[in-house]
Amino acid sequence: MGIRRTMISVALALASASLAGMSAKAEDVKLVLWSLDRDIQPAPNLVKEFNAQKNGIQIEYRQLQFDDVVSEAMRAYSTGKAPDIITIDNPNHAMFASRKAFLDLTDMIGQSKVIKPENYFPGPLKSVTWDEKYYGVPKATNTIALYYNKDLFKAAGLDPEKPPQTWTELVATAKKLTNPSKNIYGITFSAKANEEGTFQFLPWAQMGGATYKTINSEGAVKALSVWKQMLDEKLASPDTLTRSQWDSTATFNAGNAAMAISGPWEIDRMLKDAKFQWGTALLPVPSEGAQRSSAMGDFNWAIFSSTKHPKEAFKALEFFASKDVTMYKDFGQLPARSDLPVPPTGNALKDSALATFVEQLKYAQPRGPSPEWPKISKAIQDAIQASLTGQTEPKAALDQAAARIKSIGG
Amino acid sequence: MKRLFSSITDGRGFDLVLVGVPFTFLLALSGLPLAYNILMSFQEVDMFSLGSVIRPFVGFKNYVDLLTQPETMSILRNTIVFVVGSITGQFLVGFALALFFWINFPGASWLRGLFLVSWVMPGLVVGAIWNWILSGDFGVLNFLLQQTGLLNGNIFWRSDPNFSLWAVILANIWLGTSFNMILLATGLAAIPADLYEAAEMDGANAWQRFWTITLPMMRSTIGAIIALGLIFTLQQFDLFAAITDGGPNNSSNVAQYWAWDLSFRQYDFGKGATISVIMTVFVMFAATVYVRSTRHEVRG
Repeated sequence: MGIRRTMISVALALASASLAGMSAKAEDVKLVLWSLDRDIQPAPNLVKEFNAQKNGIQIEYRQLQFDDVVSEAMRAYSTGKAPDIITIDNPNHAMFASRKAFLDLTDMIGQSKVIKPENYFPGPLKSVTWDEKYYGVPKATNTIALYYNKDLFKAAGLDPEKPPQTWTELVATAKKLTNPSKNIYGITFSAKANEEGTFQFLPWAQMGGATYKTINSEGAVKALSVWKQMLDEKLASPDTLTRSQWDSTATFNAGNAAMAISGPWEIDRMLKDAKFQWGTALLPVPSEGAQRSSAMGDFNWAIFSSTKHPKEAFKALEFFASKDVTMYKDFGQLPARSDLPVPPTGNALKDSALATFVEQLKYAQPRGPSPEWPKISKAIQDAIQASLTGQTEPKAALDQAAARIKSIGG
Repeated sequence: MKRLFSSITDGRGFDLVLVGVPFTFLLALSGLPLAYNILMSFQEVDMFSLGSVIRPFVGFKNYVDLLTQPETMSILRNTIVFVVGSITGQFLVGFALALFFWINFPGASWLRGLFLVSWVMPGLVVGAIWNWILSGDFGVLNFLLQQTGLLNGNIFWRSDPNFSLWAVILANIWLGTSFNMILLATGLAAIPADLYEAAEMDGANAWQRFWTITLPMMRSTIGAIIALGLIFTLQQFDLFAAITDGGPNNSSNVAQYWAWDLSFRQYDFGKGATISVIMTVFVMFAATVYVRSTRHEVRG
């Protein structure tokens, strides 16, 4: 009896499922989209809005975990089961583009009325570019800048409206702000042995005139020496070596670090947690008038070259791009667009912080683009860690990294 | 047909089925992946060739590359320190606790059960908690050491290359102690009480009874637990991910974490597989010890 009843209910469930399936129009084109966005983030909501248009294209959404995006995507692609659309972290984009796993969108973008390359910040655009062709569309972007505690600036006799502009000033300011008896470090950032370390260090090297291909050039050595000085003189906590950006900035919010280098994802938590006046500034440069640079984070849209419906998939991307206007308002993420002003939020502090980040975004540069980025990044992380622990001199450490990057063929 | 059937229900065929089922199971779930892993260690495997079996054969290149990398020796040394340190700590503390609860005071079995909580907790949660305990500026451990006057100034357990590996070992000892304790406690419970009575009548003191009865009677349990400990320790991954990420400067990096890093962060699956093969050799050694120490438990 028990078994029979189960079988009947299973049969009923199957029947109702197939009925529900039939209610979707038979001629609908089905697309599959993978992303790591949760329900409060753009992708699933945009998919819902898109499907609600009932324009003959229906998108099925699947959420991935951060660590799984690349490995899931490549497994799916190599076994012929790739989704039509995916969101991919920008340093990983070139790996797929260079193997033609992503669809070349150059022609479609050329004809598009919605997606225009000139509307995007140069950094994010560069990250979707491979061999001068577009293999994706930037989805959102972020960068890092300097947060500082105005109350601590005043207490140390510094002008809270004059944040440090150069590396020398930054170190001098950090020295004045450091107060071991009160458990206050001058500055906090992250030199962790993972992608975060590279993310934080590369802008410094780039401001010094280096690129990942010339990571042992003079400017990069100077950058690493400044980092080392800040750790050696205990202007930053030794735990900088093992702490993520998020955890490091938490010490800033708690008043245990007077400055912090991190991104716009910190703003909301800081508004809630920081019980002091704070401000933001562009990343200090090596010397006055030197070129600016910053890191560039966040994901890109891409279409797999294996898709059976490239036109429909691109139509979906156009729809997503058309919603960039309200991206900050709806999801708190910055669109990668230079033509869209970030609308005022009504919170002066938040608005001024956002203005800093939007300004900094003009100088943001992608990591790579290189299909071998993870290995290049590892070489840079190793150099950072080797020199900050005092086991290798900055110059020697970066020489090693440069040799490794060269042998990888970056 | 009938003979075949009767052979399967009761006879040689039945024996073959009994052996065959677990054998097939083992072959499919352990043997094949193991062979595949060895195959991968001789190939150049990146993310796009992951789906195919035929890939460029590179001979011993992966092995040579790995062995010539400057960090390899220190990572292998770390692995040995981690394994020996963790097992020693887990075993000693676990044995001490097992002996303590063996006294059987009121509530002893309850308390002993509660100790298992640490074993049940997911490694990442344990790692996150120890992350706070070991934190340099505001960590609980530094606070305790300073309050008790053992330490002036902070030790950066996670970020000082001299301590980072020991920080993970400490967390791992905490994690594995209760498992050791439970296994050792069952071993203790299996020792016949009359042995101790007889020894006591002969005038043996507590120390002598421990050395001449408890330890020898526990031999197989101890052998098993050390072998299992070796396997569990070589599997330990979460704590590294949560506490140090193998840093700073690889000072707390161990083979298993390195294999993961190579495979899933740098997408160099060939090298990741190579480390796994090297580790498999270690684990096979442990398995041999385990089998030998438990062999005489099976009596025909």
